[in-house]
Amino acid sequence: MQALSLSFLRSRRLTIEVRQKIHLVPRIAIIVGAVLFGLGICIAILVSRDVDVASIYDEFIVFTFLNAYGVSTVVVHSTPLVLVGLAAAMAFRVNYWNIGIEGQLFMGVIGCTVIAYYDIGPEFLRLPLMFIFSLLFGALWALPSALLKLRLNINEVISTLLLNYIAYYIVLNQVFGPWRDPKDNFPHSPAYDDFERLPKVGWEDVHYGIVGVALAFAFVWWVIERSRFGIQSRFVSANPRMVVAIGLPLSVITLISALSSGALAGMAGFTIAAATEGRLTFQLAGGYGFSGIVIAFLSGNRPLIVVVVAFLMGGLYVAGESMKVFYSLPDALVGLFQAIIVLSVTASEFFARYRLRMAHYERV
Amino acid sequence: MEFLTHWLAFTPVFALPLIVASLGLIVNERAGLLNLGAEGIMLCGALVGVAAFLEFDGNAALGFIFAILTGTFLGFCFGFFVVVLRTNQVLTGITFVFLGAGLTGLIGIPWVNKAFSAIDPIHIPYLTGIPVIGRFFFGQDFIVYITIGLSILVWRFLYHTRTGLRMRAVGENPQAADAAGINVGGYRLLAASIGGAFIGLAGGYLSLVVAKIFVLDMTQGRGWIAVALVIFSRWRPWRAVLGGLLFGGIEALIPRLQATGVPIPQYFLAMAPYAVTLVVLIYAAVQIRAGQDAPRALGVPYVREDRK
Repeated sequence: MQALSLSFLRSRRLTIEVRQKIHLVPRIAIIVGAVLFGLGICIAILVSRDVDVASIYDEFIVFTFLNAYGVSTVVVHSTPLVLVGLAAAMAFRVNYWNIGIEGQLFMGVIGCTVIAYYDIGPEFLRLPLMFIFSLLFGALWALPSALLKLRLNINEVISTLLLNYIAYYIVLNQVFGPWRDPKDNFPHSPAYDDFERLPKVGWEDVHYGIVGVALAFAFVWWVIERSRFGIQSRFVSANPRMVVAIGLPLSVITLISALSSGALAGMAGFTIAAATEGRLTFQLAGGYGFSGIVIAFLSGNRPLIVVVVAFLMGGLYVAGESMKVFYSLPDALVGLFQAIIVLSVTASEFFARYRLRMAHYERV
Repeated sequence: MEFLTHWLAFTPVFALPLIVASLGLIVNERAGLLNLGAEGIMLCGALVGVAAFLEFDGNAALGFIFAILTGTFLGFCFGFFVVVLRTNQVLTGITFVFLGAGLTGLIGIPWVNKAFSAIDPIHIPYLTGIPVIGRFFFGQDFIVYITIGLSILVWRFLYHTRTGLRMRAVGENPQAADAAGINVGGYRLLAASIGGAFIGLAGGYLSLVVAKIFVLDMTQGRGWIAVALVIFSRWRPWRAVLGGLLFGGIEALIPRLQATGVPIPQYFLAMAPYAVTLVVLIYAAVQIRAGQDAPRALGVPYVREDRK
C-alpha cells in the first residue's frame, strides 16, 4: 500500500490497493463512464463557444447517426479511420509506437499518385497498381524507423514523427512544384482520371473502399486473433524477455508488425486519394495519425472494436467538420476532443486497476 | 563575411528555444519521466506568452512569466497523469501534443496572427561591434543571457544539490530511492513541473522573440527536436547547449541560404532540421552504445504495489 501524498489527516490516509481482479461489467462501466465524462467536457467547451445544446444534439446524433444520408457520410469518413486504427493496433500490439501513420499515409498517396500522374500500366490495371503502390510506399516509409529501432535501439516515437515532417515537406514540394495542377494552378496534383478512381457502390458517396476495408479487417482479424503470428506477437507485449528466451524471432515479429502498420496507413491514404479527393492534396492526411492512435487505444488493439470505434469517430469527424463551418471553431477541434476523451479514459484505468480506501492508522 | 556575421548573430535566437526546452526535458527525464508532450506545452507557452504581452501593453517580462506559469501548470498536469494516475507516459505525452494544439486553436483566436515589434537586443558599445563574433556574443536579447545562467543552474541543481541527487536517484532506481525514504512520486511531480516551466519559457521565447507573432502550430516540431536533442546530449545540460547551438545554426542557415539564392528547393530546406535530427540520432546511437547514459528508469512508472 502506498500512501498518496494526500495525507491531510494524519491518522486517516487515502491509500491505494491493487484490485486482484475486476469483473467485466464494472470495467465496461468505468470505460463508458470515462467516455461520457470526456464527452461532457467537450460539450461544455462547445456550449462555452455559444453552441446551444439542441444543435450539438442535432449535429452529433441526428444529422450523423439518425438519418440515412448522415450515416452514409459517416461511413465514408470512417473508411480511412478503420484503416489507420488497424494500422496503429498492429504496431501497438507489439509495443511499437508507430506515431508516423500520417507520414506513411502521405507516402501511400504519393505512391498511388506516381502511378496516376505518369500513367503507368494499362487502364484496367491502373487502379490495382495504385493500390499496390500505396501499400508499398506506406510500408517503405515505416521501414527506416523499424530498422533503426531494431538495430540501433533508436526510439521509434521520435524517428517516425520526424519522418512525418519529412513526408509532409515532400508532399509540399510535389504539389507546389512538379505536380502542381496546370489546369487551375492550385497546389494539388492534377485530378485522377475516371478509371483511376474508386467507383461508388451506389449509396450516396460510399465507395468501394469499404470492400477494401472489409478485406483488410478480415485479414488483420485473422492475423491478430487466429494466426500463429498473432499469438507470438501477443507474447511480445506481455513479456519480450520471455519471447527471446523461448526462441521466438522478436525482431522479425516487430518488423512485420511495423511494416504492416505502414502498409495499412498507405492503404488509408489510397482510399482518401482515389475515392474522396481524387488527387494528392497537402491537407488530406490532417489528423489521421492521431486518430489512428486514439482508435487503437480506445479499442484495446482489438480489430473488431477498432471498426466500432472508428465508425463512432467518423461521426465525430462529420459533426466536427460542420461545427467548424457553422460556428467558426478551430481546425484542431476534433483532435482536442479526441485528446480529452483519451485522457479521460486513460485516467479511468487507474480506478479499474486500483481501489482507493481510507485507511486508519494509529498515531505514532 | 557579412553572411557569416549574420548567421552567427541569429544562431542563438534559433538555438535558444531548443536549448531551454531540452534543459527542461533533461530535468524531466533525469527523474524518469519521458515527457513527449513538450511540443504541445511549448505551443501553449507560446500562445499565453503572446496573450499576456499584448494584454499588458507590451510588457515582455510579464509575457515570459505567464509562459513559464503555463508550462509549469501543464508540466504538473502531465506529472499528475503519469505519476498519480499512472497512465502510460508515451500515450499521455502524445495526447498532450494534440491537447496543446487544440487548446491554442480554441482559446487563441483573439491573439493569433497579431504581429508586434521586436524586443530589442542589447547593444554593448565596442563589444557588439567586434567583427564576426561581436554580435554572436554581445548582441543578444536578455533572455539569451538568462539562459546561459539557467543552464549552469540546471547543471548545479542536478549534480551539486541534495534535491538534484535525489531526483536523479528517482530516475535511476526508484525502488532504492523509495527504500531510502525518498518520496518518488513527489520528486517526479516536482521534476515534471520544473521541466514544464522550461518548456513553457521556450515556447514563450519562440513567439515573443523569434517569430514576434503567434501563429497556430508555430512550434513546427521543435518540441520533438528537443526530445531528440536530449538523447544526443546524453542527458547532460552542457551538451544540450552545444546540440542546441548546432540545430539553431542549421535553422538560422535556412533563411540565409534562401536570401543568397542558392538553388535548393525551399521545401527541401524546410525539411533539413528534421532530417538532420534523424541523422544526429543515428550518429549518437552509433557513437555511444545505445541507451548507455539514459536514466535507467526512464519512462518506467514506479508503482510500489507492483513490485516483483
